[in-house]
Amino acid sequence: MKIGFPRALFYFDYFPFWAGFFYHLGIEVETSPPTHRQIMEDGLKKTSDETCLPLKLLAGHIQALKDVDAIFLPRMVSMEENTYNCPKFLGIPESLLSAVPPEIPVLSAVINWRKGQRQVLKDLRVLGMQLGKSGAEIHRAFLEGHEWQQHYQDSRGRKWDFEEKMREIEYVTRQTQKIKPENFSMQVSENHQNCQKDLKITLIGHSYLVQECYANLNLLQRLREHAEVNLIQHVEREDVEAHLSGLRKKLFWSHAKQIYGAGNKFVEDPTIDGIIYLTCFGCGTDSMVQELLAQKVRKHHKPYMVITLDEHTGEAGLVTRLEAFLDMVERRKVREGYVSAYGECLDSHSNTL
Amino acid sequence: MKVTFPHMGNAWIVIQTLFESLNIEVVVPPQNSKQTLTLGSKLAPEAACLPLKLNLGNYIEAVREGADTIVITGGIGPCRFGYYGEIERQILREAGYHFDVVTLEPPDGSLRGLAQRIRYLAGKKNSWASILKALRFAYLKCVALDQVEDMIHAARPRLSDSHETERLYEEGKNRLAQAMTVKGIRDSVCSIRQSLRDHQMAGIKNADKFHKPLRIGIIGEIYTILDPFTSVGIEAELGRLGVEVDRSIYLSGWVGNHIFQGLAPGYRSIRSYPSHAKPFLSHFVGGHGQETVGAAVKFAREGFDGIIQIFPLSCMPEIVAASVLPRVQETYQVPIMTLIVDEHTGHAGIQTRLEAFVDLLERPSLKGISETSREGVSLVGER
Repeated sequence: MKIGFPRALFYFDYFPFWAGFFYHLGIEVETSPPTHRQIMEDGLKKTSDETCLPLKLLAGHIQALKDVDAIFLPRMVSMEENTYNCPKFLGIPESLLSAVPPEIPVLSAVINWRKGQRQVLKDLRVLGMQLGKSGAEIHRAFLEGHEWQQHYQDSRGRKWDFEEKMREIEYVTRQTQKIKPENFSMQVSENHQNCQKDLKITLIGHSYLVQECYANLNLLQRLREHAEVNLIQHVEREDVEAHLSGLRKKLFWSHAKQIYGAGNKFVEDPTIDGIIYLTCFGCGTDSMVQELLAQKVRKHHKPYMVITLDEHTGEAGLVTRLEAFLDMVERRKVREGYVSAYGECLDSHSNTL
Repeated sequence: MKVTFPHMGNAWIVIQTLFESLNIEVVVPPQNSKQTLTLGSKLAPEAACLPLKLNLGNYIEAVREGADTIVITGGIGPCRFGYYGEIERQILREAGYHFDVVTLEPPDGSLRGLAQRIRYLAGKKNSWASILKALRFAYLKCVALDQVEDMIHAARPRLSDSHETERLYEEGKNRLAQAMTVKGIRDSVCSIRQSLRDHQMAGIKNADKFHKPLRIGIIGEIYTILDPFTSVGIEAELGRLGVEVDRSIYLSGWVGNHIFQGLAPGYRSIRSYPSHAKPFLSHFVGGHGQETVGAAVKFAREGFDGIIQIFPLSCMPEIVAASVLPRVQETYQVPIMTLIVDEHTGHAGIQTRLEAFVDLLERPSLKGISETSREGVSLVGER
């Protein structure tokens, strides 16, 4: 049996788990190719205009999956206690059924960690029944998937390259002999670890925007050419938790929590020269978190730029803004930010810089 | 301490009653207006949803009347509304307004924390019994308000003079706002019913045959469907076009479900909606996304002629619902139109679309043709 796994949205955070899960069950996982123009256009046609870019891309990736026995669209309700994913994650697969080719069935599973591991296993067993697997097998597959996910998350702290990591996981899933995650190849990617750049820039945003090179017009690579880039995805969970203070009410979206906590850490870090917030048009959680973070940034007088992506984002516009921002950050670093202290802060009334 | 709260349709009558019967000084902010929205949009993040912008506007207008404490409800659904209290506090603080924000919800699930917050608002002189009594009274008023609203929905297409209907509605709301006893509430509902009946009898004498109006169900995000300013008066507008309107969520239904955690059913309980939605959207998606789908199914089964969904731009749960609704539309052959509102929504634009939609429904040949509204078609995309 061959299952199609779209390379969008939940792929960027949770693919290792599902790869390990299906690997253990002996089910082949086929991922869609990296986003290209046709995928984006197909996606736009099959979704409502109001929804956000990542979901439109997901619809495109679903259509790009050919020759598979089923398409896997999990409903990732919650990934840890007391949090939810964005409501649009909760609406999968129903909200995307119109994008699925009529001849291919859809497989789905609910993942809800709010009610603890037992509930997750119970829901997975429902998926197991559809696949014809026993409860014990599902349990072992779950543990294996969990191990892969853990391994992946631990390695993120060591600043591994996302794409290489994913390529490796995809490679392993195609092998027949069993490989344990500890034995995955361990080389740290060369291209951005050794280079020493003067500027340190933090790129904040959802994993499915930051790592989606087609939609963000290769922003990450462009930034890396000029500066050392920190990603919030590389921040350890304890660090995130430690920087959530200052909120009277806990954030209840897991992505938002990570963005705010890790973002906060970088805002307070004096060695970081500038912060870029990557969001997409219509992102509900970002509209709130961006505001919370912008307030912090204004307080710390950090250069800050918000880039809003949508399907019409043009390369020239993005490059111009990026160059201007980097120029500004560099100049500020050289001149130590000697700005007249007279009068009012220029940006005190704007939400974004 | 002068307490204020955000507007949401007729909710102010209920909230004012609640605080006044507890002898808490309360400032009712001026009704939602263009001014409110302009003030709010200046402070709010541009991508935030419309209710947040209006809420902020309400608070700033209430400051001018001396309010210093905000009361708002919360929740930890994945809908953004759950985080309103905290983000509003931070935005107002940065803008230089020193409000105390009390979010009425169990903080981290602790009922004790909720009790402390209620105690903080109510002060020491109110006993728990009197607080419960005040809550019950406010709830009864809420149900009565919904009854009146429903009567008006039925009356609008049937009474000949639309201005007269709106006048009766205003009068009814005023009477209810002033009622301070349970009997007073009951009397005002009865008298409104009586005067509506009188008007209708007079109307029937003039008309030669009994008129059976079109019926349209309004579904969508609660704030936009409850608040006539936000929905550009869609219910009154449809009433003028001779359409009887029903709505998926009434205030007391929401209060019963959200604030009393399902202990009170409200005028129109929203509890049955998720089961209606099951075949189309089997999991809750936060906010009232699943309720919207369920209500659409229910309206379609009840034989409504059309359904209109309203939500603010970028509302997450409603976008999920909107992408499921085309399937409801196809299954039940009922036209569904989606209206999205934001701070740039113009009255004329909405009016034109409503007229076109009603025209479409009035075409008697509609039943045989599967052609749907433009919005329906564009929502489904290429088939």
